[in-house]
Amino acid sequence: MRQTLASRGTGTEQIAEGIEARDGYDLYFGPVHPGSGNFGVKLTIRGEEVVAARADPGYLHRGFEKLMEYRTPMQNAVLSDRLCILESLNWNLVHAEAVDRLYGEEIPDRAKYIRVIMAELSRIQSHIIWYGVLSKALGFDTGFKVAFGYRDYVLDLFEFVTGGRVYPAGYICPGGVRRDFPDGTKKRIEDLLVKMETMVREFEAYDSKTISARCQGVGVLELDDALRLGATGPVLRASGLAADVRRDAPYEVYDDLDFDIPVREEGDAYARSIVRGEEIEESIKIIRQALDRLPAEELPPVKPRVAGKIPEGEVYVRNEIARGEAAVYMRSVGESHPYRCKIRGPDLLHMIPVLEHLLVGAEVADVPAIYWSLNICPADMDR
Amino acid sequence: MAAMESERRRAELLERIGSRFDIEPRVAEDGTVWISVGEQDLGECLAFAKREGFDHCSAISVTDWPGEEAFELTYHLWSYDHKVLLTVKSRIDRGKATVDSAVPLWGPSAGIHERELHELFGVEFAGNPDLAPLFLENWDGPPPFRKDFDWRDYVRKEFYDEANPREQGYWD
Repeated sequence: MRQTLASRGTGTEQIAEGIEARDGYDLYFGPVHPGSGNFGVKLTIRGEEVVAARADPGYLHRGFEKLMEYRTPMQNAVLSDRLCILESLNWNLVHAEAVDRLYGEEIPDRAKYIRVIMAELSRIQSHIIWYGVLSKALGFDTGFKVAFGYRDYVLDLFEFVTGGRVYPAGYICPGGVRRDFPDGTKKRIEDLLVKMETMVREFEAYDSKTISARCQGVGVLELDDALRLGATGPVLRASGLAADVRRDAPYEVYDDLDFDIPVREEGDAYARSIVRGEEIEESIKIIRQALDRLPAEELPPVKPRVAGKIPEGEVYVRNEIARGEAAVYMRSVGESHPYRCKIRGPDLLHMIPVLEHLLVGAEVADVPAIYWSLNICPADMDR
Repeated sequence: MAAMESERRRAELLERIGSRFDIEPRVAEDGTVWISVGEQDLGECLAFAKREGFDHCSAISVTDWPGEEAFELTYHLWSYDHKVLLTVKSRIDRGKATVDSAVPLWGPSAGIHERELHELFGVEFAGNPDLAPLFLENWDGPPPFRKDFDWRDYVRKEFYDEANPREQGYWD
């Protein structure tokens, strides 16, 4: 190749001209890119510009919706961990709520508070992963290491409470939670929150030379496009709409808790970063309130419904998870397994229509910033 | 206060839907609104919902009822203004499962759900510009999420050998 070019007497300028003259080159971003997860996007580039982008999902398709039709709710609670590896407790909660509503039963107040505390810790933990992976993508390795170091404190707590660090084995399950907080949990969470505050300050101190320098004005998502493309969660809020399921259609005890919804108008990758950073602080606020109000009486152990039948009916339950709107449509015909369980994750929308839209017209060097500013997770896209 | 406002808007909406399509909407205990319409009214009902401010197509789903030769389509729509969740349901013939696409109403956010359902249930969405396979690679079997596709049987035949004594457990 080199020889051919040399024999034509080409310098770099002529090579560049040759590339310009073609329709473009294909650049495969993933599925074995570090940090991309099991997901790829095929870019067509001309010069430095991305002229077309096509998402390539499916590497993590495990057929969860079909699998759930063959299992009881308690088995599905464990399965729901795997809907998103990065925030399993939040997915536990959406599934458990769907089953609870079909049964039509109230769960104990203490269990509701425990659910909210664990879901918010899971949100913080997920935002920490996002910060780490985005830092890595921007070439800021220290941010990655610091973030994953802090994440381990949260995982220690998950292990203490649920027995699992990443997968809680359906800790939030139909009927409440699998077991009550062990002795000393409250103190541990309070200590953890102090660490999380230190972490947020640390991230802010890094900001001016790292994330803001690489993300400002990059990957701008206008509000109209955000709605048309189905963006939810921090991605939508960074484009200017203060929509949050926890506030708009409160579940568990969110209507009793006082918290703000961070919103930005700019719609760029930096705005999405700011929103997530502020959300960590809001989650800390929510957990402190929930700990203060946590009812004192001990929880009776949850009896797994091994042989019971799910009452006939259908529900559509939405939750706000770290990445956006998560929902479960569950249909029961009075058997021990759900007849149909449709799972709606935020990333099917963020990783296909939103990502493809943002990448077209971007410069190749900005692709990582755009890609990870969406905080994507192939697991809940493919299911 | 916000809850009262949302309730008032929900009541008004129910009245408008009821008079427009001559149906009785169901309000579930959790406040979500459910309506069922015939196949011929589906397109008009969805367009009506969009005009009424349901600007977020949260999800589209299919439930398979092979015994009744029907697919049930469910459209879960959320209104950022009214803070109401509306589910529109409609049954279509399982034998010729074709329905008009919702892309003209909600754009790619509806299109991607339709693309998934086309692959997993084999429902055609007329007017959807992109129904390319999404998750499955080199798949030539029936749409796998249909009730009559027995995946356990498929996995046995495809991946396990009955003659192999170590894999016989899968065939018992």
